[in-house]
Amino acid sequence: MQNIIETKKLCKTFSNGGVQQHVLKNIDLEIYEGDFTIIMGASGAGKSTLLYSLSGMDKPTLGSITFAGTEITKKNTDELALFRRDHCGFVFQQVYLVDSMSVLDNLMAAGLLVNKDKKAVAQKAGELLKAVNIDEPLWNKFPTQISGGEAQRVGIARALINNPKMVFADEPTGALNSQTGKAVLDTLTGFNEKGQSIVMVTHDITSARRGNRILYVKDGEIAGECLLGKYVTGDKERHQKLNDFLTTMGW
Amino acid sequence: MSKTLLLTKSNLKKNRGTSAGLFLLMTIAACLIGISLLVFFDAYPVAEREAARLNAGDGYLSVTGNVDGITDEKIEEIIEEDTESYYIYRNLAYSNNPIPFGNGEVVITSQFSDSSAFEMPMNTCEVVKEDSSVTEDYIYLPYQFNTAGGFETGDTFEVDLGGTKHSYTVKGFLNVAYGGCNNNALYSFVLDDDSYDELAEEGADENIMIIFDLKDDVTVGAFLISTSTEILTLNPMAVVSGYDLPQVLGSRTFMALIIAVSFLVLTFLIVAAVAMMLANCISNYIKENMKTLGALKAIGYTGGDIKGSLVVWFLIIAAVASAVGIVLAYLLMPVFAGIIVGQMGIPYAVSFNMLATVIPAGFVLIFTLLVTLIASAKVTKILPIVALREGIESHNFRKNHAALSSTPLSLNMGLAVKTFFGNIKQNVITFFVIGLMVFSCVVSLLMYENFSRHPKLELLATEICAGVVTSDVDSKEEIRSYLEDRSDIKNVREIISMNFYYNEEAILYTYVVEDPAKMDNQNVCYKGRLPQYDNEIAISGAFARDYGFEIGDEIEMDYGDNSYTYLVTGYIQTLNNAGREALVTYDGANHIVETEMIPGWFWFDLTDESDDNKVNEEEVERIIDECKDKYDGHILSTMNFFEIMNGSMTTFQSISTMMLVIMCTVSVVVIGLILYLLIKSLIYHKRKDYGIYKALGYTSGSLMLQTALSFMPSVIASVSIFSVVWYYLANPYMSTFMGMFGLVKCTFDIPISGVVMIAIGFAVISFLLALVQTRRIKKIEAYNMLVAE
Repeated sequence: MQNIIETKKLCKTFSNGGVQQHVLKNIDLEIYEGDFTIIMGASGAGKSTLLYSLSGMDKPTLGSITFAGTEITKKNTDELALFRRDHCGFVFQQVYLVDSMSVLDNLMAAGLLVNKDKKAVAQKAGELLKAVNIDEPLWNKFPTQISGGEAQRVGIARALINNPKMVFADEPTGALNSQTGKAVLDTLTGFNEKGQSIVMVTHDITSARRGNRILYVKDGEIAGECLLGKYVTGDKERHQKLNDFLTTMGW
Repeated sequence: MSKTLLLTKSNLKKNRGTSAGLFLLMTIAACLIGISLLVFFDAYPVAEREAARLNAGDGYLSVTGNVDGITDEKIEEIIEEDTESYYIYRNLAYSNNPIPFGNGEVVITSQFSDSSAFEMPMNTCEVVKEDSSVTEDYIYLPYQFNTAGGFETGDTFEVDLGGTKHSYTVKGFLNVAYGGCNNNALYSFVLDDDSYDELAEEGADENIMIIFDLKDDVTVGAFLISTSTEILTLNPMAVVSGYDLPQVLGSRTFMALIIAVSFLVLTFLIVAAVAMMLANCISNYIKENMKTLGALKAIGYTGGDIKGSLVVWFLIIAAVASAVGIVLAYLLMPVFAGIIVGQMGIPYAVSFNMLATVIPAGFVLIFTLLVTLIASAKVTKILPIVALREGIESHNFRKNHAALSSTPLSLNMGLAVKTFFGNIKQNVITFFVIGLMVFSCVVSLLMYENFSRHPKLELLATEICAGVVTSDVDSKEEIRSYLEDRSDIKNVREIISMNFYYNEEAILYTYVVEDPAKMDNQNVCYKGRLPQYDNEIAISGAFARDYGFEIGDEIEMDYGDNSYTYLVTGYIQTLNNAGREALVTYDGANHIVETEMIPGWFWFDLTDESDDNKVNEEEVERIIDECKDKYDGHILSTMNFFEIMNGSMTTFQSISTMMLVIMCTVSVVVIGLILYLLIKSLIYHKRKDYGIYKALGYTSGSLMLQTALSFMPSVIASVSIFSVVWYYLANPYMSTFMGMFGLVKCTFDIPISGVVMIAIGFAVISFLLALVQTRRIKKIEAYNMLVAE
């Protein structure tokens, strides 16, 4: 399988008042195309820092990250922004839709960065919104006027508008109830089944079960890895395997 | 109280940028108020103090022309009864003589004395500056020649007196109460004794100077009229002019007062901007700190405590800003004083003035207190639980402006429009602040254009022309015919001026005009019409107001023993002679004066006037020279108005240029500060959105551009609307403003190109300033913005 992201000796250190905290320590990692990669770990283990470093949202302190054949650690913030718009999609726990824009405009604002053809972007946005079960009457509503689950699905549609090589999802169901969370996971799983590569941070086993590869981060290092294979609904053996892995990791 | 101070300390620490921005705006306001009041309270008192020090008495009577039979003894008999003290001094005078000044010359009555002038017990001539190495053929000039006229000691002063050219070396400069300033229509010079004798031998008119200090129950106006009348009975051919000290001081200081009032107007514009910003800052503070306010209320802080902390916070800023602003006003005052001294011609040193110190501080503090109390009123109404839930909605957008799927705008422009509608309040503030600043710059441009770039002499003179030739009585008709036959000049008209008296109370400087319809300055009459018949008169608006005359009333005017009752046909406007002027026809004047016995004053225009005043000046010079060559000995005096224009406007030029520079600079600084405060708050409110945009792949540059562009609709609307509005309202405003000084109907030129430049300049500068202010977006990374939420 071809890798999309490769890190070498990736380190991230935060300094606060002269006190240094090493959040990521010499991580060597490969993320593969088509995978639904899950990053798990305890709070403060460094999983979100790893996610944002991999996506070029945050800059590592040391080491290198090669994304789709491009070394991104040497890029400045504007170069990283240009890189992200072409290669990355993001789904956040807090959704982070722009409140002053309609649902459709949230997608358009991302899509028009890459494709200047308004008609084509609007058509693609419509298709994605339909694909995440956001009906047309909601398209002109504002984020504050729709439910949390709907907003998160709009967030997923926005993440996909530019056909990114990778979607990065940070606890996408963290702020949702189980029913709406399931709908969001179904959406992500559906896109992954169609070939979309996803890296998702979660501390929820139900969410983690959707991935085919689980990485466990502990004290800033990849402590273990578990391969689950493609997600199948009601696969109890898969569930057990994940539980055993997490138990081994001290979850 | 300790709770309030605790909150205040926290607010000051947390909102350093906002505090600094407001501090600078308040400092500018306090400084400008301070300067305005220092000028306002100091200019006249300084002139008054100097006059008292020089023992100027209550006024001065000048008797010149033919003074035969007017002896000191006879004068004493006339004035003794009404005066506490007086001093009679004889020197030489030239009426309406061109004197080099600044970039040209002024036509003015000049009096020349010898060294005995330094011994005068009244109206003392004091040397301000002197070069003792100059020992012969020297002259002392009024101090204004040094401060505004471009002369230094040792310079050569060349002047044409009675047709003879004289050259003197400038030995020094004089501080003199009467004859120290061109606005008084009189200059006093002191020559070395030999030069003085030479001038006397050449036949200069003798002048009798009568300085008087009146008894308490005698008014200056009545004294001047009765004394003039009695002196004219001694010799009807004498020319008597009266100078009332308050009137002289008023003329010397009116430009300083115009500056003071102009600055006060500008200050109020800035104060209005500060009020809007202060209210906006408080509103932002409430929005940004809603949770904190809720928590504070939950633990027992009252609305009053929180409001108190806001009041103390802004009062601390206002107090420090007032103190710094006043200190700055005193530090900058010498610069302003230098220019004002140029106009006043009086030695001036900045001194402490209690009122000018206390009023700006008091005003800034009270104004801050009021705005803060009003803007923070809603704090008391917020319920803790609502505040904890951030009850006040920060985003309440009901309309999706510039939908990206359908707008024809580019992505950046579309997002800028969305930001614009999302920050409509900030844009309204920008709209009005820039509008106010456009106003101050358009008015400054108007003053620069009309006082400096293309001086409008009709502001200072009742009638304008290209040149004037004065002939003796015998050659009057011949010279008139000669002038009328010339093809290079047109509109030859006869205008003279003399003092008429009203009811032994007031002197009216009266223009006697052969045919008022031929006057170039038809704007001189701003209400009613100019006189057409011999029983009509137009009087100045200020005089009409003071003495209760209306159009259609009758007024009895005196000259010597003669009097006649005229019908008031209209009001004329003037900045001169303390607003006491009148205008009658020759036929009208003949009722009380024999105009035929007066030399002929022929005013004329150029047939082909050039846009270049230098060319016009040379053309008039050529015509005057040809006239002199032809009628040598019959030409009493000449005036080249294009040359006078430069000289007379010299003092106004520097002031109006200074005003333009200051107004434009202050405007740009104010716009910069307002944009700083607005954009700082906007970025703070939208920090989450910027994080999202950056995460999606927007670059800092595009976000900065969008943010800066979002202010452009209000900036462009403001400069477009207000430049047109002020273009049309500037003259009505100036009429109201200058009306206080006697100029009631202003028709100043406002160059459209200048207004367009101001509009474009403000739009470009605002955009660039906004772009600079948005640079803080650059420093924040997407990840930090998202985790900051």
